[in-house]
Amino acid sequence: MEPILEISHLTKQFDGKPVLKEVSFSVNPGEIIGYIGPNGAGKSTTVKIILGMIDKDGGDIRLFGQPIENYDVSYKARIGYVPENADLYETLTAKEYLLFIGELYGLEEEEVLKKSEQMMDALGIKDSFNGRLASFSKGMRQKVLIISSLLHDPDILFWDEPLNGLDANSVQVIKELLWKLKMDGKTIFYSSHVMDTVEKLSDRILILNDGEVVANGPFEELKEEADGTLEQLFNTLTGFDQHAALAEQFLLAMKGEEAHDA
Amino acid sequence: MMRDVLGLKKSEKTPIYLRLLDLISFIYTRSGVNYPQMRSILALKMTMDGRKDSALPGFESGRRSDEEKNQFFSSLWVYTLISLFLLFLFAYDNWVFQYTTYFSFLFIMTFSTLLANFSNILLDTKDAILIGTKPVDRKTLGAAKATHVGIYLLSFTLAIGLPVILFTFYFNGIVAGILVFLLSLLASLWCLGLTLFVYATILKQFDGERLKNIIAYSQISLSVFMVLGYYLVGQIFQVIDPETLLVEMNLSVAHVLLFPMWFVAPFGMLQEGVTATYLAYTALLLAGTVFLALLFNWNTDKIESNLQKMDSSSTKRTKRSAIERTAAKLFCLDPLEKAYFHFGWQITKTEREFKTRLYPSIASALVFPIVMTYTTLTSGEPGVAQSPVTFLYLPYFTMLLIPVLAVSIQFSKNYKGNWVFNLTPNDSKAPFMRAVAKAMLIKILVPLYTVVAILVLYFTGFSYSLQLINGLLLTSVILYVEMKRSVTALPFSRKYSASEANMGCMGTLIFFIPVFVISVIMIVSQLFVPFAEWAILLILLGLNGWWMTKGFTRKTK
Repeated sequence: MEPILEISHLTKQFDGKPVLKEVSFSVNPGEIIGYIGPNGAGKSTTVKIILGMIDKDGGDIRLFGQPIENYDVSYKARIGYVPENADLYETLTAKEYLLFIGELYGLEEEEVLKKSEQMMDALGIKDSFNGRLASFSKGMRQKVLIISSLLHDPDILFWDEPLNGLDANSVQVIKELLWKLKMDGKTIFYSSHVMDTVEKLSDRILILNDGEVVANGPFEELKEEADGTLEQLFNTLTGFDQHAALAEQFLLAMKGEEAHDA
Repeated sequence: MMRDVLGLKKSEKTPIYLRLLDLISFIYTRSGVNYPQMRSILALKMTMDGRKDSALPGFESGRRSDEEKNQFFSSLWVYTLISLFLLFLFAYDNWVFQYTTYFSFLFIMTFSTLLANFSNILLDTKDAILIGTKPVDRKTLGAAKATHVGIYLLSFTLAIGLPVILFTFYFNGIVAGILVFLLSLLASLWCLGLTLFVYATILKQFDGERLKNIIAYSQISLSVFMVLGYYLVGQIFQVIDPETLLVEMNLSVAHVLLFPMWFVAPFGMLQEGVTATYLAYTALLLAGTVFLALLFNWNTDKIESNLQKMDSSSTKRTKRSAIERTAAKLFCLDPLEKAYFHFGWQITKTEREFKTRLYPSIASALVFPIVMTYTTLTSGEPGVAQSPVTFLYLPYFTMLLIPVLAVSIQFSKNYKGNWVFNLTPNDSKAPFMRAVAKAMLIKILVPLYTVVAILVLYFTGFSYSLQLINGLLLTSVILYVEMKRSVTALPFSRKYSASEANMGCMGTLIFFIPVFVISVIMIVSQLFVPFAEWAILLILLGLNGWWMTKGFTRKTK
């Protein structure tokens, strides 16, 4: 099977500091990929490069069987994106925003209206369809972003922290949704800090640390290395095992006391 | 096919700017822009500009959140009113003189104040995430942003130019009228084109924190360049007979670089006939326009592709300077006020949007007195020393910065962080306002005033030092009065939108008359009334002492 996304030797620097160091991996159609890593590991940068928001310094990206340089912007019509921060045009209503996004994807107004209302209904925010986004909670904004990424029925989803701000029930709905989207043949590439979700949902897990891929495989295979949960594996691979000591240091700092050497 | 997201389909409801744009849509299409997408983005942006963000709980912004009115357009009449003064030009029968003054005024107004306020729109990075990730190419997005700013600039130009355009039709004929109308529009597009060219070059060459600073410095350079240009243009003309208002023009080869003159050459040809100079200047105007159009077409997508550099992380550490620490100790007695003082100082030090809005005005406030000094020194009889009194008004120019300052401190890119002001255990509004006023006074106004005052002292000698100290104390009081009058929300707690771009600019223009009256009263009274300097010093010390300890309490309760 030909990969839907193939990245080889991808590099990127900011202010002379390497953020991505020869990152290589591939994603097959219909897979759910959990893309995880500590803050600043380069996860969002990878997605931004794939989406053409920033230019890469080196390496190759093939999407839908072609290098992305070969495409005009039309390839983005096959992508659904949820950004890390729920930034929206706040003076608009949800209806206006979704209609605008639908228009950019070339969808008919009636179709967008119908889909948006139904999707908002399913996520429990239909009553806010005509409400200003400025008045929405973080979770409600996240739902609007998720809807806007699915309006055009894309082939591959890039979701950056899709569960941000969602309540427990909504998280369950989105998890189910991800599973059903996979069943529908969609490819899902998402990053999250919620290890439990990544562990249960992903067909394959990619761990990025300091701009390098340090693990790539199904959880069942990876856990053999760490012999435990994904969280333990993550800690081992990212070289982090000082949780208790750091919590203690924090508490001492809060109380204005000196930390003792470990 | 185009949809009607905001009820903007071609109908009676369609705003005039969209109807006009539809007429020239072929220009966009031919240059590779997806016009329906661009139209849609633009309509959305204009709709958003007309809406205010709702004020956060506990903070009174003085505006209704459901209000849909673009403040920018509804306040344009003020510019028309102000530019009525340009009608004096029609007393002279020299068209070249008339339109040189007019176009120089137009360029300087647009460049030195207004354009800086639009840099935030041109350099916005949020669109790249919300629109750039959809099937919209960079050129279309860039064109939408430029057109968005262009609409404001064109309206501003027409508002400023209206009296001159109408009187041109009446006094100089239909051809000159049509010409001044079209060239005014072209002038504002030049301003936009030049700014975009500067941004594109800077964004290409620099990265990270340096890029942010250089963007701000480029604004300063543009406005200084314009002020100096205005001065040089003024040197071309000489009134040789005040009774008949006869003006003589002395154009030299060096003046070829003053591009406002290029806009004037066609009028010279109309009135005086074709000459080699006018022909050459007109050719330069046409060539420059084509060049800018090509640059714009080539650069729009480059700007968008390089914009993400603005968001790249930076590890630069900022420290409190000795001046900041000492000033906080001296002027802020309350610990809460001290904290806000540092906050105000640091946020204005690091926020690029604040710098780009304010720096051009600072540059103008500094360059104008220097140019005026030079004019004063060169205009007198050779060998006769200028009276010191002729320099005393110069420091008062600093006060013209106050309205822009009072407007600028209200906005912040990080305005959402203002929830933190609600958490302090005591009422924090008055200390916050006092602290920010003090920070701005010490960080911006005092250094600026000091530079000009030193220049004045050099010419007047130390005998006028008390007058200069009084001037500074008055500046401080006026800052307080203006902040109390115009700052409706807490500092740094409002989102900036294009419709508010002219607030500071307009404030400065309105401020001009009271500043002039006050400076005349101050200078005359201190020169001619015995002991007035000391009396004024005591009064101003008292007023300053009062606002620095008790100021802002009543209004912000």
